Amino acid sequence: MDEKQPAENVIEFENVKFSYPGSDGVFAVNGVTLSVKRGEFLSVIGHNGSGKSTLARLVNGLLEADSGKITVLGLDVSEGKNSLEIRRHAGIVFQNPDNQMVASIVEDDVAFGPENIGIKREEIGERIDWALKAVGMEEYRHSTPTRLSGGQKQRIAVAGVLAIKPDILILDESTAMLDPKGRREVIEVVQKLNKEEGMTVILITHFMEEALLADRTVVMNRGEIVLTGTPEEIFESGEKLEEYNLCLPRITEIINALNCAGMNIKNVLHPEELAEEIKQSFAAKGIKEAHSAEAEVTQINSAHEWDIDIKDLTFTYSKKSPFATKALKGIDLHIDDGEFFGIIGHTGSGKSTLVQHLNALIRLPQAEKKYRKKRVKKGKPAPVLPSITIGQFDLTNKKTDFKALRASVGMVFQYPEYQLFAESVFADVAFGLKNFNKNLSKEEIEKAVKESIEIVGLNYDEVKDKSPFDLSGGQKRRVAIAGVIVTKPHVLILDEPAAGLDPLGKKEIMELLHKLHREWCKTVIIVSHDMDEVAENCTKAAVISAGEVVMCDSPANLFRHTDELLSLGLDVPLTSKISAELEKSGIIINCDCTAGDFAEKVIGVYGGGENA
Amino acid sequence: MLNDVTFGQYYPTKSFVHKCDPRIKLLALIAYIVALFLAKNFYGLALSFIVLAITVIAARVPLGKVLRSVKAIIFILVFTAVLNLFFHGGKVLLVHWKFIKIYQEGIIFTVFFIFRLFFLVMGSSLLTLTTTPVELTDGIESLLTPLKWIRFPVHELALIMSIALRFIPTLIDETNRIISAQKARGADFESGNIFKRIKAIVPILIPLLISAFRRAEELGDAMDARCYSGSKNRTKYKKLKFGWRDLICFLLFAALITGVVMFNIYAAQIFPQIYGYIKL
Repeated sequence: MDEKQPAENVIEFENVKFSYPGSDGVFAVNGVTLSVKRGEFLSVIGHNGSGKSTLARLVNGLLEADSGKITVLGLDVSEGKNSLEIRRHAGIVFQNPDNQMVASIVEDDVAFGPENIGIKREEIGERIDWALKAVGMEEYRHSTPTRLSGGQKQRIAVAGVLAIKPDILILDESTAMLDPKGRREVIEVVQKLNKEEGMTVILITHFMEEALLADRTVVMNRGEIVLTGTPEEIFESGEKLEEYNLCLPRITEIINALNCAGMNIKNVLHPEELAEEIKQSFAAKGIKEAHSAEAEVTQINSAHEWDIDIKDLTFTYSKKSPFATKALKGIDLHIDDGEFFGIIGHTGSGKSTLVQHLNALIRLPQAEKKYRKKRVKKGKPAPVLPSITIGQFDLTNKKTDFKALRASVGMVFQYPEYQLFAESVFADVAFGLKNFNKNLSKEEIEKAVKESIEIVGLNYDEVKDKSPFDLSGGQKRRVAIAGVIVTKPHVLILDEPAAGLDPLGKKEIMELLHKLHREWCKTVIIVSHDMDEVAENCTKAAVISAGEVVMCDSPANLFRHTDELLSLGLDVPLTSKISAELEKSGIIINCDCTAGDFAEKVIGVYGGGENA
Repeated sequence: MLNDVTFGQYYPTKSFVHKCDPRIKLLALIAYIVALFLAKNFYGLALSFIVLAITVIAARVPLGKVLRSVKAIIFILVFTAVLNLFFHGGKVLLVHWKFIKIYQEGIIFTVFFIFRLFFLVMGSSLLTLTTTPVELTDGIESLLTPLKWIRFPVHELALIMSIALRFIPTLIDETNRIISAQKARGADFESGNIFKRIKAIVPILIPLLISAFRRAEELGDAMDARCYSGSKNRTKYKKLKFGWRDLICFLLFAALITGVVMFNIYAAQIFPQIYGYIKL
């Protein structure tokens, strides 16, 4: 293409409106006018329900606009005969990788699109080669998708769309359900396609860090486009974003805090750049080498009544079959009473298996009904048996009251809203309570349900008779959490409590957990793959990798091991990245890895600069 | 935990039988069943056994796995065998005690019946042990292709089967997760009478159904977005190909049927003295 000639518009929206049936005239997309140029990388951000996904579906005619005009490559979307042609040119990758795969073998799935448009056999083979290579999954051609990690599955889904050879690739929150590693993998593929193949990319996302990678960002709020510009411009508009129920990227928050203290830092978007900015800002004040104040380590004063002690925990799935996989390989872990504990690791590291032992959803072998002690052969050491104690509960003992244990150790699974079933919110929350204690009076049940619905931040009178399925996503999750904490557990375990929520939803859930930690449950354990989440919230954390505990320490100490964590394929919090960068130049910032403390320590050094 | 596409019985080795074309394996199984029911004497049955033994050895699957399938039907096998023994009529009465009459023909028939069923179940389980569900679906689709002539929706049926196969492990996973989540909330699925247990399933069933519908909807969207529009103008990437293994397989089973038919015709001439005891 001639560089001087402006690129053609591949997508054009003209005052497009759309409402879902039964939404009482509330427009999910309300008067959107937007054009996307060939080869552009556009990111779309907005809170849940802001209309971003609807936008994607309007492009290729999965939904039909009420009014306005949409053209894709000059073709009018509203004309039915164009829809197949448009879908050949604009492919969408959806959120859940599991729900967009048709076949049980990778190559068959990638072949699905080309088969649909009648490509010849030999060419389909070539397209599969090309598409799998583009996403870096050539060696998995004959694998079964169910065996792959989330990121790998999503890359297969991308390949499935690529095989149709579209001009436009739309990613509808395609990274929302992935762990950081998977997210990186997918985003790298998309960036490469945009740069090397010149593919037009529309990236719809919750992650501000991903939105930053685009050429242009569009912010949506209640069906309208409220801001457009380069990512830098968008994130400069600070408070406005909060108005649209969005959060600033963490890096921008830090920069704002630094600038408030009189440091003159440019609005950069990458940790290396920020480190450079801080260095220059220090240099301007004559600070070359510095050492911040030591980080304070939060001490937990606990009675140690409800300590959790895990020793030599091993676990194998599908034992004695050709598919046996060792999930845990000798876990030793001690969690103090009263801690806000984080368990970090990526998908498949064994962290979910580990926490399921804690309330005996997976029983230790000795506690199984059929268990008999094995005779030890002479000359051989006795086999090491795993042991877990939680407070006074001994999980190795068959006679332990496991029901009482489950009432004291609450467990909130990933996407807990998918376990709701009852006809009313009240009945659903009361379900656990009635299971654990059959002798409660009606009043007692009502009181407990009311308390727990209120502490999760919902209005009891408003929601109690509603069907849980009529609530919004965030409310559903709160009801599900209420249904677990209703028994007043001492220990509350949550598996990825913030998964799939938008930034504000995430923030609110973490605030809720802190409230629960203060007022309701003594120990809170979260399982997470989000390093920043752990750094910001936890008092202590353990890193699990390939079924083993690699490290266990306070976030401040833990995230000092940047290289080690990266080599395990894990991420480190943003603050550690900047600190590591600064440390290379002799500036040492000891912080507890929260953004607030980091800014404070940097300002401390900056303020003390003249004396140093 | 069941979370693999190779659920069911599939036992992965790289044997001769595993590498055969699924169509030939399906046809071989049909041929084998036909042979079992064609056989009118123990010569034919013995031949069937030899062919089965060859296949089991060639498949390199532990014998225990093959026999396990028989365990599942042992009760029915014994029950029907006993009925046959007591109620099969005949000419040579061997036992007569009160109302029980056992004839020589009855005994021969029962023994025949047991072996037939035994071989049949072992043969079919050998197919599922050596063939993945995906291959089976491909094979069935390919074998059914001629039915397109009578407007039978072969492609749609095959797609439904392959999507079902694809989602079974996903839904099993989901079920396990929901069961765990409700257990964590104190649900009890193991105790109580039958009504209580059925009631206890509700908290699993409803979320599972809702999730299945959600998945179906999302899958529909994803298929639409990937240009799916029915079987019209559609090509197919995967083509099954016959190889030398399939030829051997074909010859083996053709020989089996020929052998059985030959024995049916000429068996009486081999050992005329004992023929009466080895025929149906």
